[in-house]
Amino acid sequence: MLRYLRTRQAKLTPILLLSPALLTMLFVVALPLLFSLYTSLTPYRLTRPESIETFIGLRNYIRLFSDSGFWSAFGRTILFLAIALNVEFLLGLGIALLINRITWGQRTLRTIMMFPMMFSPILVGFQFKFIFNDNIGILNNALQSLGITDQAIPWLVDGKLAMFSIIFAEVWMSTSVFAILLLAGLFAMPRDPLEAAKVDGCNAWQVFRHITLPFIMPFAFIAMTIRSLDVARAYDIVSVMTGGGPAGRTELLWTLIARTGYENSRMGQANAMAYISTILSIAFTYFFFTKLVAARRYMGGAE
Amino acid sequence: MSRLTAKALIATALVPLLAAPAAAQDYGNFDGYTLRVKLIGGAQYEPLYAEISKWEEMTGAKVEILSRKNHFELDREIKQDIAARTLDWCVGSNHTSFAPQYGNIYADLNELIDADTLADFVPLVLEHSTVDGRLVQLPRHSDVSNLFYIKSLFEDDDNKAAFKAEYGYDLAPPETWAQVSDQAKFFANPPDFYGTQYVGKDEAVVGRFYELLVAEGGQLFNDEWEPAFNSEAGVRALDWFVDLYNANAVPRGVPNYLWDDTGLGFASGTVALNLDWAGWSAFFNDPENSKVAGDVGLVRAPKGSSGKRTGWSGSHSFSITETCDNKEAAASFVTFLTDHDRQMIEASSGLLPTRTQVWEDAKANFAAEGRDFMVEVFDTFSASMSEDAFTPPLIPEWIEVSNEIWPRIQAAMLGDMSSQEALDAAAREALLIMEDAGYR
Repeated sequence: MLRYLRTRQAKLTPILLLSPALLTMLFVVALPLLFSLYTSLTPYRLTRPESIETFIGLRNYIRLFSDSGFWSAFGRTILFLAIALNVEFLLGLGIALLINRITWGQRTLRTIMMFPMMFSPILVGFQFKFIFNDNIGILNNALQSLGITDQAIPWLVDGKLAMFSIIFAEVWMSTSVFAILLLAGLFAMPRDPLEAAKVDGCNAWQVFRHITLPFIMPFAFIAMTIRSLDVARAYDIVSVMTGGGPAGRTELLWTLIARTGYENSRMGQANAMAYISTILSIAFTYFFFTKLVAARRYMGGAE
Repeated sequence: MSRLTAKALIATALVPLLAAPAAAQDYGNFDGYTLRVKLIGGAQYEPLYAEISKWEEMTGAKVEILSRKNHFELDREIKQDIAARTLDWCVGSNHTSFAPQYGNIYADLNELIDADTLADFVPLVLEHSTVDGRLVQLPRHSDVSNLFYIKSLFEDDDNKAAFKAEYGYDLAPPETWAQVSDQAKFFANPPDFYGTQYVGKDEAVVGRFYELLVAEGGQLFNDEWEPAFNSEAGVRALDWFVDLYNANAVPRGVPNYLWDDTGLGFASGTVALNLDWAGWSAFFNDPENSKVAGDVGLVRAPKGSSGKRTGWSGSHSFSITETCDNKEAAASFVTFLTDHDRQMIEASSGLLPTRTQVWEDAKANFAAEGRDFMVEVFDTFSASMSEDAFTPPLIPEWIEVSNEIWPRIQAAMLGDMSSQEALDAAAREALLIMEDAGYR
């Protein structure tokens, strides 16, 4: 009997020890999530609190499935994410490799590189909104003064240029996330394989392609996972620069969700949109984690 | 004695006279009470809040400012308070365009503020502050738009001759929106100079479309609350924007413009005609900020084809919550913030007062200070506030409906749809909103 109790106690101990963490997770993460899931099944309006008690089942979701505006924003967000992540990765990799090569002033450069991240995204939005302004913006004035064009280029109005402009602002602000993480990867890299490769007569490209790049790829995938979650929720910069317009040409998921939820007060429908959009984030996270595991296995010599 | 000194002396002599009625006002005694408030923040609104300590001294109460945000953030916060049922504060900044959304969280001020005080306000502005027969806000300052223009362009003889030759009538500050369109195309020389400009997104462009719709003889909703803006008048109004856009008479970027862009654009001296709010007047005529300072003309907003002038208007205001634990103190506070002397402070920076007397006194002050342009501004804007001003429909769905309209206005400007198609599409969505809200 005593032994039984003792074994039972021993079995319970981990659960007991974990319970503060589990309870915190329950109250801080699970309950709010469940609550917002419930509100997505109601016609909940912020300005009519009693509307939360009306259950309408999947009506919000059914409406969304036939809402072409929502799916355009969904597709545009994927495009925005794909371009921004790739450009940030390539630029971040270039910066990291360059900084890794210099021996003097490296710390100062690393600090300077972090500057764009220190600004609030709203300020970055305003900054680029005025840079890209077609009439009084610096960019058009510079292009006209240099004689490159005699037109006022509508940076924030033309569909493609407007997407380019908001991606530019996003990339300007966050490329350093990639650069810092990849630089950390480069610092942690052992010198032996590099020296061995040189002894074996590999050229610089071969060393980079077969040794450096595989080694830093796990770092890149971690950066991509973090940034994909960030970019999928892009709101401030887009909201300030274009507000999702003109005519919905730069509408992303979160500008649409924020407008529906707050300006239109339709929080129930906004939550339904947000739940569908989390599928996007989960898909990207899963994809990058699979890649991360594969990259690690490759480094471990399993392949 | 120079004329200026004489003017200054007269102005100084007037001050005690003007201050007299306020000194006599009794704001009550609320010793030990703390009034919790949520106010709109921002450079042009802050000088008034420096006065709050005077009310605290007079009444013995304390004011706790819970938040001081721009109007859109404040709007979110108030909606969150309604949702979370945490309206544990008494006074909030409000706006005539926002007020109908909040349902009945705010008290009817007809019951809290005495009729004599209310009688000192401009009647039309009080009417605009009334939702469903309840005065849910006390107007603090108003706004309406009039047409600013670069004077020298209209005085230039070459311009006059060339314009007459091309359009067959004399070049003069415009009286109708059709003339604005002609003159804008005449002056435009892109990308260096534009005839006019307009805001192109959010509620802003819907407001501009709406006022032109009214001036063209149309209406947003019919008597059954069905969308009626896709009428012939609606198409004429939208065509005005589209036509100027296609003629390159406005900057290509206008679909993305908001108030800062149009204001700074006119001040940069690259736009001939600019319909804008009174708040920009002083800025446009300030040599430090504006390249057109000293060359700014102002006329009342032009007329549409129906003979009615555009006059989309709104007022910043203060409201008192129904849940307030001391409505008397709250009423005393909002009365104080909108009294004669407080409005004189706001008016001196160019904000339009809501009290009849302050219009006159502020104008007298500007005249005494030799600020002739500001006298002209107050003359022009007082005429439009009392004769032309109208608000959007005061219904909770206004912002939501406007969010369906503006992307379609942009689509028409950019050529994705014709004006009729754009307005039809917007009307279909607006109808859904109105049906959901139980209007039909």
